[in-house]
Amino acid sequence: MRFQRIVQLCLFLLFVGLLWKAAYPLPTWIPVDLFLRLDPLISAGTMIVARAWIPSVVWGFVILSLAVFLGRFFCGHICPMGITLDVGDRFLSENRERRGTRRKEDSLDRFRSAKYLFLAALITSALAGVSLLFLGSPLSLVTRFFVLVAVPLVSLASDFLIGVSAPVAAQLGWNRLVYAQVSVPQFTAALFTAALFLSILLLGVIRPRFWCRTLCPAGALLAMTSWRPLIRRSVDHTCTRCGICIRRCPMGAIPEDPHSTAHSECIVCLKCTEVCPENAVSFRWSPPDRREHAVNVSRRHILAAGGVGLLTAGLALTHPRTVHGRNVHGNLRHPDLIRPPGALPEKGFLDRCIRCGACLKVCPTNTLQPIWFEAGLDGVWSPRVRPRMAACEQDCNLCGRVCPTGAIRSLIVEEKRYAKIGTAFIERFRCVAWEEDRKCLICDEICPYNAIVMRPVPGNRSLAPFVNEPRCNGCGYCELKCPVLGQAAIRVSPHGELRLATGSYRREARRLGLIFEAEGGLEEEFLFLEDAYREPDPETDLREELPPGFILNEEEMK
Amino acid sequence: MKRREFLKSSAYALAGLALRPAWLQAAAPAETPELVVAQGSAQSATRAAVEALGGIRRFVSKGQKVVIKPNMSFANPPSWATTTDPEVVRELVSMCTEAEARQVLVLDHPLRDTEMCLERSGIAKACQIFEETLVMGLKDKRLFTQVEVPEGRELKTTFMMKDVLDADVLISVPVAKSHGAAGVSLSMKNMMGVIYDRAVFHWKLDLHTAIVDLCTVARPHLTVVDAIRLLSTAGPGGPGKVLRFDTIIASTDMVAADAYAVSMGEWYGRKFQPEQVRHIREAHERGLGRMDVEQFSIKRVSM
Repeated sequence: MRFQRIVQLCLFLLFVGLLWKAAYPLPTWIPVDLFLRLDPLISAGTMIVARAWIPSVVWGFVILSLAVFLGRFFCGHICPMGITLDVGDRFLSENRERRGTRRKEDSLDRFRSAKYLFLAALITSALAGVSLLFLGSPLSLVTRFFVLVAVPLVSLASDFLIGVSAPVAAQLGWNRLVYAQVSVPQFTAALFTAALFLSILLLGVIRPRFWCRTLCPAGALLAMTSWRPLIRRSVDHTCTRCGICIRRCPMGAIPEDPHSTAHSECIVCLKCTEVCPENAVSFRWSPPDRREHAVNVSRRHILAAGGVGLLTAGLALTHPRTVHGRNVHGNLRHPDLIRPPGALPEKGFLDRCIRCGACLKVCPTNTLQPIWFEAGLDGVWSPRVRPRMAACEQDCNLCGRVCPTGAIRSLIVEEKRYAKIGTAFIERFRCVAWEEDRKCLICDEICPYNAIVMRPVPGNRSLAPFVNEPRCNGCGYCELKCPVLGQAAIRVSPHGELRLATGSYRREARRLGLIFEAEGGLEEEFLFLEDAYREPDPETDLREELPPGFILNEEEMK
Repeated sequence: MKRREFLKSSAYALAGLALRPAWLQAAAPAETPELVVAQGSAQSATRAAVEALGGIRRFVSKGQKVVIKPNMSFANPPSWATTTDPEVVRELVSMCTEAEARQVLVLDHPLRDTEMCLERSGIAKACQIFEETLVMGLKDKRLFTQVEVPEGRELKTTFMMKDVLDADVLISVPVAKSHGAAGVSLSMKNMMGVIYDRAVFHWKLDLHTAIVDLCTVARPHLTVVDAIRLLSTAGPGGPGKVLRFDTIIASTDMVAADAYAVSMGEWYGRKFQPEQVRHIREAHERGLGRMDVEQFSIKRVSM
């Protein structure tokens, strides 16, 4: 196996490993979003949209600078999209061999310039303040595919395998297997994501690495700095012009003359060194060479592509649910759009969110789900909290910790607890305690913030729930557990959410009079806040007030 | 010092009762009291309580499978008293290991994220030194099996942990805490953590009767109530008022242990009798155990 394959495979395993480790508890020695930080398109694009310097993603610029020396090594060695496509191409390769004869004239085909046009469109829309990077960033696409499609499928398969092997494991005393529990994450938009990714894979039928050579805007960005890398392909005099390198180059980066190379198209995969029967090809420090080829992109096309980017940005800006600046009409905030805790104010959030799905993967409860157009045209795939599916865990701050661009702020747990994401409200006509006079107090029991108060109400024998708004964090446990079938009777709306670009959530929450914690310390101290225990109200209380769950004793009953 | 005074006076009262000849005849042999109340540190009180009840070998024999059921349903630190004190659990594991149990499992069906509960409650870490002992939150339905509840009035059938059904010995180790729906959450309520679906208890069945129903099929051989800290208000999830009792209550009768814990504790700033908790009263009436605290043979140990 050649060197490049080994590196590529190791790094892919690292990518998958980090994705797998993106769960509670997070590893502390390595950022699990490492690969996302390396994508130069994410780095450049996000900083343009956000009009800010984002330190966590400067690594993309490092990759971009290294390309001056090493060419598009990122595409051939590091990019997990690249190896995924290589694997796909292997399955599709049978078809391709038959067309091998036509390869010569295809080698530097005119469609290659499409990636530059795609890049131009993404950059102009970024300049217009709309991030569409998620359509083109290979790291965003591939991570999203693995999170939304691969992880659930692999989990389902392992769950099944554990299930069938458990009896055998029990016989053998393999306790780790007997008790292995796999939670299978479920995501909306998974089918759509799978179809999109499959179509990218299937483009390999036309040519290997079709995405990388024709479409990838990050590849285009790298191609711009690697048009003549210092270490590059060179062919010595022993070349017999057999042309095998031309035919086997997965990028079609070698034009008619095997001595020449389109360096901006070369991903340094070293295939040509491997297949050359004369060992005439090597990658080394090379003197200037006239016989280099570049992809021709007409200025007119670039301008047109930039125009398309602007038009798309314009469409996003005129979408009814847009969050951008002056164009916002009334209050069309989607009633169910609850953002993850610590998400920047909506505009800043959408500027930075690259839809990689890292937060969706790491969320231990699976409440984070991708959305469609609830936040406008440019909000597609961004995360929301979906309480009916699962709640936001009280002492969990994982989504912010894995966000590569800081769209969700990385907060310490003590801060995160104050990052209110919404407020619960009760639809009394749906609530079984209110409407059917049943002794249901699940929302009260489950609420981790003690935000539900049970009170007697006129005409009811059972107590009925009320939301104590300053205590409600919007976590959604009440909505999740509400026994009313279909839509819950207690639901979380984004009302009252706290979204801070900078500064302390704790301080802001305190200023607003929100109470998300027990007062004082722990041991032997009185954590209990008086307001949760209500004094009897003589007007509505016909009986003596007892704490929840207790009844009168024998004597009192008489 | 009110609490201490109360404990003292109730101790005198019970001692007085114990001196009655009629009572002596009805009582269990002196060396095995019905209920032990041990005071001290979590570790020493737990050991002393089990010793005073006849020692761990009374319950666990060599080669047996033991399931210890603490409350580790919440991802809160032990100081919140929403989960069982890790040292109490560890001491029980230690004793079961000394009794040469074949397998010791510490199990719960946590309400919150399993990993977080195991870690934040401190129970997983506390039991780490016993490599053979698995501390697990079971949520996968594959690990549960359907059981009938022949004596059930509300709960007719439920899915219970296979390990609990397989186990030779079941030990219930709840933390003493208040509970918004059940009044208190002690060893009887603790049994809701060995079944798969407890939501029905709340919205479909009568909670109190269903708890008693469940306890007819999930009967621990040994109950150890952790009242080192007691969550007096805002249970079961807290945060609420935490009272330090430094007490372990052990009994073979889960109802008795719960009843004692209710009368000993202070709940929402008040004192209550066991009969004021519906499920305890019903368990007593249905003969599952006794709640007449005054009639128990109690052994007190102070470490």
